[in-house]
Amino acid sequence: MELTPKVTFLGMTFDLTVIIGSIAAALIVFLFVLFLTRNLSVRPSGKQAVMEYVLDFISGMTGIMMEKKESLKYVSFALTTFLFILISNLLGVVVIVTAEAHGPIPSLGITEALLQTTHEVSWFKSPTSDLNVTIAMAGAVFLYSHLAGLFKHPLAYAREYVKPYWWLFPFVIIDEISKPVTHAARLWANIFAGEVLILILRGATLYFTALPLLVWIGFSVFVGCIQAYIFTVLAMVYIGQKVSAE
Amino acid sequence: MSLTILAGAIMIALGALAAGIGDSILFARYMEGIARQPEAQGKLFGQTMILFGLIEALPIISIAFGILVLFGIIG
Repeated sequence: MELTPKVTFLGMTFDLTVIIGSIAAALIVFLFVLFLTRNLSVRPSGKQAVMEYVLDFISGMTGIMMEKKESLKYVSFALTTFLFILISNLLGVVVIVTAEAHGPIPSLGITEALLQTTHEVSWFKSPTSDLNVTIAMAGAVFLYSHLAGLFKHPLAYAREYVKPYWWLFPFVIIDEISKPVTHAARLWANIFAGEVLILILRGATLYFTALPLLVWIGFSVFVGCIQAYIFTVLAMVYIGQKVSAE
Repeated sequence: MSLTILAGAIMIALGALAAGIGDSILFARYMEGIARQPEAQGKLFGQTMILFGLIEALPIISIAFGILVLFGIIG
């Protein structure tokens, strides 16, 4: 495993690779969408058609659990989530930046003891391959879904907890807690396992691992797209369950 | 030390085994669906891929924790 530079600020430890990675992914998404939506016209052509295709795709996704009119409110949220996760997943496959530490750097959290295992310091990796990022995103979806349901129809929201029988209440709570946990772990584990295997294959003799590495990179791109889609669909399903409760 | 490595290896191996069983059932049913209704292939493919991602997640969570155990980060 590689070391990562960490900074301690106000008693909290920040992983610099995560911060760099998320800022890069957010910037790329922003500039990409900004580029695609310049000079809009009534008759779509070229880049505008791409953006409209993406929006159609996303609004199909949000319409799974909700009525068409209701689902339009969540299209921008789903679009942002999808593009950010997709770009972050793919960044980790394409861009790998590692430096070699020759001595301990205490300000970056690289100590003598850690240097015993490896000298490689990773400076750039996919932000979604860190569990904290995915937990933050899944937690945001969790909060959003519950608050949206609570503000839309409080009585129906409360009644969901005692359905179909009141004594099933503990199981409903377990269900509600396991949703964000699996939601976060699903995305993190897929990207993390993919990146670690790329690192292992890259570290071995390339004569033997070149072909498996190529195959695995292709599979990683596929998994990154599928997982971005699944994360967004599940977020919409969770929100839809709360919002369209009767 | 060696027991930790064994534990990580077992987690990864069982994850791969479970993924193999789950995916094979899913894709067998997908093939059956195509055989019954060839015109539904396009629709079924998208749904199958979503379910594939959902199933694949559980073994891969096990594999990710197995890797963490194997490299001695947790456990």
